[in-house]
Amino acid sequence: MQLSNKGSIASALATATCSLLASQSVAAETPSDPNPWQFDTALLYYGETDRVTAIEGVINASKDFGDEHIFNGKLVIDALTGASATGAVAQPYAQTFTRPSGQGQYTIGANEVPLDDTFHDTRLQVSGQWTQPISENYRVSGGLQMSNEYDYQSIVLNGSIARDFNQKNSTLSLGMSYAFDTIKPEGGLPVAFSSMAVYDDDEYESEDEYDDDYNATRNDDSDTKNTLDLMLGYTQVINRRTIMQFNYGISKVDGYTTDPFKVLSVVDSEGYTQANLYENRPDSRTKQSFFWQTKYAADVGVADISYRFSTDDWEIDSHTVDTRFRFYLSENSYLQPHFRYYRQSAADFYRPFLLQDQAIPEYASADYRLGEMTAYTIGLKYGMTLENGDELGFRLEYYQQDPKNAGFNAPGVLQQMDLYPSVKAIIAQVNYRF
Amino acid sequence: MKHQPITTALPQSPWQLYRRGDYLVGSFTAMASPCELLMDTVDLALGQSLTELAWRECQRIEAKFSRYKPDNLMAKLNASNGKPVSLDAETHSLLSFAQTCFELSEGMFDITSGVLRRAWTFDGSDRLAEANAVEALLPLIGWNKVTLDNHSLTLQPGMELDLGGIGKEYAVDRVSQLCQQQAPELSVVVNFGGDIQVTRPRRHQAFWQIGIENPDPTSPAPLILQIRGGGLATSGDARRFLLKDGVRYSHILNPKTGYPIINAPRSVTVAAGHCTQAGLLATLALLHGDEARTFLDQQGVKYWLLN
Repeated sequence: MQLSNKGSIASALATATCSLLASQSVAAETPSDPNPWQFDTALLYYGETDRVTAIEGVINASKDFGDEHIFNGKLVIDALTGASATGAVAQPYAQTFTRPSGQGQYTIGANEVPLDDTFHDTRLQVSGQWTQPISENYRVSGGLQMSNEYDYQSIVLNGSIARDFNQKNSTLSLGMSYAFDTIKPEGGLPVAFSSMAVYDDDEYESEDEYDDDYNATRNDDSDTKNTLDLMLGYTQVINRRTIMQFNYGISKVDGYTTDPFKVLSVVDSEGYTQANLYENRPDSRTKQSFFWQTKYAADVGVADISYRFSTDDWEIDSHTVDTRFRFYLSENSYLQPHFRYYRQSAADFYRPFLLQDQAIPEYASADYRLGEMTAYTIGLKYGMTLENGDELGFRLEYYQQDPKNAGFNAPGVLQQMDLYPSVKAIIAQVNYRF
Repeated sequence: MKHQPITTALPQSPWQLYRRGDYLVGSFTAMASPCELLMDTVDLALGQSLTELAWRECQRIEAKFSRYKPDNLMAKLNASNGKPVSLDAETHSLLSFAQTCFELSEGMFDITSGVLRRAWTFDGSDRLAEANAVEALLPLIGWNKVTLDNHSLTLQPGMELDLGGIGKEYAVDRVSQLCQQQAPELSVVVNFGGDIQVTRPRRHQAFWQIGIENPDPTSPAPLILQIRGGGLATSGDARRFLLKDGVRYSHILNPKTGYPIINAPRSVTVAAGHCTQAGLLATLALLHGDEARTFLDQQGVKYWLLN
């Protein structure tokens, strides 16, 4: 065998191998669908002490129709009941408030944080997402999400394109989503900074007189809000155990951002409430966020660490550190502790209350979620793969929000009130994947 | 980490299935080799059906083509004593392939050369074969003495066929084909004792990381390969050789002389489109002795060579 004329052996062998393999009619057996529908289901309980309780059910179905043409459909139903903070301050005497609908009242005891206990809502959300490659290194995705509550509707459209390069070790993605929301609260939208009318036998001679006062606080029936989100993402495989991701997002909200159920108390120099005014927020908000995440797959488990910084033109800056460590207990089960820490500064128009002798600002809200606060979550998840390949998981978490005083001096009796009460919640979840 | 099988077909199942991270591993022993299927899925039902399929196909091929079975087609051919034996389509195409290899290698790859085992024992010693024993076997060697027509094969009396040089690679390619047909979207690695075929790239990761036995027996660490697709095969056995007067005689025999190839690499691993093709290229490289590297360079294939 001379070397000089051997250049073609590899290709001749390739041809011979192909004809050897092709000549065999492969036994035709009933092919089972290699990519059946995959379902993820979860039931979540969220319970705040003395406040909101939510139950949420999620069904997520996905299927690969071949060549990474993937459809994902999701259905979420949640039921919310309980009480939420109205923004009014506690007083050393019992206070009576009008329900947002104008129908009925509720009374809050002395020294207690005013909570509106009429929250009762059921939300239904459906969404569909289609993802597919359009060439060797490009993937596109598009989706539609609709959600409906008694007084809130939302439609979100999204699209993204991702490009793999560097032998698929790097991915650059650009995404966009546009949300169109409509709010239509029972009783209509309140007039900004109008004073809550409270029916009182001594004050009103007839119910009609009260109705006139209530209606004077009411504006249009509904309003809308549009949100445009742009996201630039970069994912890099560092080595076979480590993957890192960077995202930059910009979000622009235009429209009605006010919470129609929230009020601010106007207090006198002694700290006594003179009136409760419906809040008012700017009609736009621009937010930027930066996100970094690293996942490391060790032999004993997976570490997942992320940090997010976001800043907006309401002057809310926030920092989030989220860490999860998954420890494999065996081939089929794991334990995953979770710790999350969150901190935000207050919005520039956040006021825990308004002072009677000062002019009403253009915008103001006493919603604690816009104030300075820290929050943390501590949790544990246990997951297992069953003998038939299905996966079952249990998660239990404790979540605490600690609002802080962003430098407001409380006058008189307010010094004895808890103006920044902590909110404590338990989250329990069961999920099943089949 | 020790892997406990998560499922088997029967209590005494011939194969096992377990999960390793985000993929499944089916394993069994066939053709005197550890056999593995790596499947880029965690769907156990699919993993079970593919592993069962692979195991059955190996059983079928081994039963049909092994020269160690007393009553199969090979036994019948080797005992035909000069009479024609009719062939089924699969055997015919395998023998046609062997004929092509014989022609391409100008007679160096020859499935009739197995009779030389009677004269040679490669046990690492310095005992070369007796010259007259080798001489006596040469008339029984030579594919050119064989008659292969469309439906039958005629061997000269005393001649024997040995498909050991292509059987395992063929099984790898066949099983890979079956997996591809059963689960076209799934990436499967068929690894029978280091002879490997990957059906398609993985879904979420570019490469499969596959550890194969290091061809260098002095190195305890397995060789880790990254494979995206295609086939891989190793020829040569670092433990089977003879050493006399400083010359290493490999267990690869020259069918024309009846003597071992001298100064051949101890082992050659080749990557090619199909495992069978890779296996043949590796074997042909060894048959080139100390020119193995030049031969492989000319073929333009990726290879690993151990001298």
